[in-house]
Amino acid sequence: MFSGPGGVKPGALMLVGGGVVALWALSGFYIVQPSERGVVLTFGSYSRISGPGPNYRLPFPIERVEKVSVTSLRRTDVGGQAEGDAPKESLMLTGDEQIIDLDFSITWRVADPKAYLFSTRAPDEAIKAVAESAMREIVGKTPLQPIISTGRGQVQLQTADLMQRTLDSWRSGITIVEVQIRSANPPPEVVSAFREVNNAEQDAAGAINEANTYRNRVINEAKGDASKVLQASQGYREQTVRDAQGETARFNQIYAEYRRAPGVTRDRLYIESMERILARSNKVVIDAKGASAPIILPPDVFRSRVPVVAAPQIDARPPQAAGKAAQ
Amino acid sequence: MSNRLVFWLVAIVAAVVVAANTFIIVDQREQVVVVRLGDPVRTINDKGTEAGLNMKAPFVENIIRFDRRNIALEAAQEEVITSLQERLVVDAFIRYRISEPRQFYNTLRDEQIAADRIERLVNSSLRQVLGSATAREIISGRRAQLMQQAKVDVARRAKASSLGIEVIDLRIRRADLPAQNREAVFRRMATSRQQEAARVRAVGEQQKREIIAGADKEVAITLSTARQTAGQVTGEGDAQRTRIFAQSYGRDASFAAFFRSMQAYEQSFADGQTTMVLSPDSAFFKYFQRGPSGR
Repeated sequence: MFSGPGGVKPGALMLVGGGVVALWALSGFYIVQPSERGVVLTFGSYSRISGPGPNYRLPFPIERVEKVSVTSLRRTDVGGQAEGDAPKESLMLTGDEQIIDLDFSITWRVADPKAYLFSTRAPDEAIKAVAESAMREIVGKTPLQPIISTGRGQVQLQTADLMQRTLDSWRSGITIVEVQIRSANPPPEVVSAFREVNNAEQDAAGAINEANTYRNRVINEAKGDASKVLQASQGYREQTVRDAQGETARFNQIYAEYRRAPGVTRDRLYIESMERILARSNKVVIDAKGASAPIILPPDVFRSRVPVVAAPQIDARPPQAAGKAAQ
Repeated sequence: MSNRLVFWLVAIVAAVVVAANTFIIVDQREQVVVVRLGDPVRTINDKGTEAGLNMKAPFVENIIRFDRRNIALEAAQEEVITSLQERLVVDAFIRYRISEPRQFYNTLRDEQIAADRIERLVNSSLRQVLGSATAREIISGRRAQLMQQAKVDVARRAKASSLGIEVIDLRIRRADLPAQNREAVFRRMATSRQQEAARVRAVGEQQKREIIAGADKEVAITLSTARQTAGQVTGEGDAQRTRIFAQSYGRDASFAAFFRSMQAYEQSFADGQTTMVLSPDSAFFKYFQRGPSGR
């Protein structure tokens, strides 16, 4: 080269130049985070993918590296975020020609950094458009009721699947991790009518409960009553039989004695009975023989001698048994 | 010395300028149309294989860079009249790629103009394709086929007009009812829910009555079964009593009748309320009347 102005020594110049070259060369070192992959471009042409850790590329302008986060999950919301609702995005037509208010989120990540960088322009923005298109296609095939109740998981899976197929057909390098329906409700205009159905279900359940309560009560009462009737009848049977046995036992005893002296006993029994009967009654003894006119008795005769003092009833049967037997 | 320095400086600057005009860096994501004096003569990286350092003739050739990725284009919202004269508001988007950059350059010049042109194409195709379907088909039944049909139609017309693009995808983002029709749907939904509520209540009431009727029936059966058994048991008792008395009294019917009558008399007059009008002729007064001999 030529000698520098101001008498700078060529050696020093070489040293400075060498330093600059060394620094330039060193600028090729870079670090890739564990969650990332580095895509190295040589003059803009794809060269290789570098993994996590320190890496080297040829310095600018020969090689460049673009880092893409591959493990981190990204989220896209459709139909209103925390800030507020977006009816234009969230109202959609269902398979049974009703309208549903549905908010959902998509969780996705980059699966293929090369495809992600090179095949699609603005892939992040594409997610939302694809999500809306897919969700509306699936919701359009599904009746409203399952979406707001049990069929939610199915809709989520189908939407994720449809999104994935669409994105794969573009070779976008994006993997849909999950589609999640955050809320699926009837539109605000008809919410009260839907609530009315819930109320009706509560009412119906209440009516059935009431009926079951009644049922339990009356059936148990009936069982109790039935048992009472049965017990009573058994009690009656036992009592009747035992009373009969008691009475006949007594008769048998008396009869055994009667056989030894029939006349005497008969007379005695008759007289004793009459004695007890007449002792307790008002008596009028009239010898009507020869009477030609009706005999008028004073009314006092028929008035009872209250109080009645019952004579000791040695021979009387228990009145209870007598009553039962008469039934 | 000074002249030599000037010469070298000029030479270096000239070399840099020529180099900068000759070497071009083509990114993986780009494709380039090389224009020689206004005439697009060749392309670089339109197949995706020539990215990197490339050369062109300096000064006489210019380059125009185009994206070679898949590009999104949102079509403006469009009101479509279906085959049943229903109205639907349709939002669609198309994904396309510049596949023939020279054609694209010739016909459309740049993406701005292209966007305009393609959007009109998409809207016109959608109107035509969706116009031959019903709203029901668009919303649920045949959405995917109709989108495919519109995509093929756009691709065909783009090719016919030499737009130099490849249609990758055409999708209906939203197909909704216009606001005024929505009200009708809301009304229909509300009335259908009210019907459902009435039905649920009626079913509940029906079940309630069934349960109560069933319970009443069970009660009746339980009680009558109990009475039936009770009658049986009572009858057994009465039968045994009868048998016991028959056995016992059967040994001497005449004495039994006498004995039992005595008991019955005593029982009948036990209350002491009776006034008896007796004749002295009765057996009881035998001695009363006739003296100790009884004759």
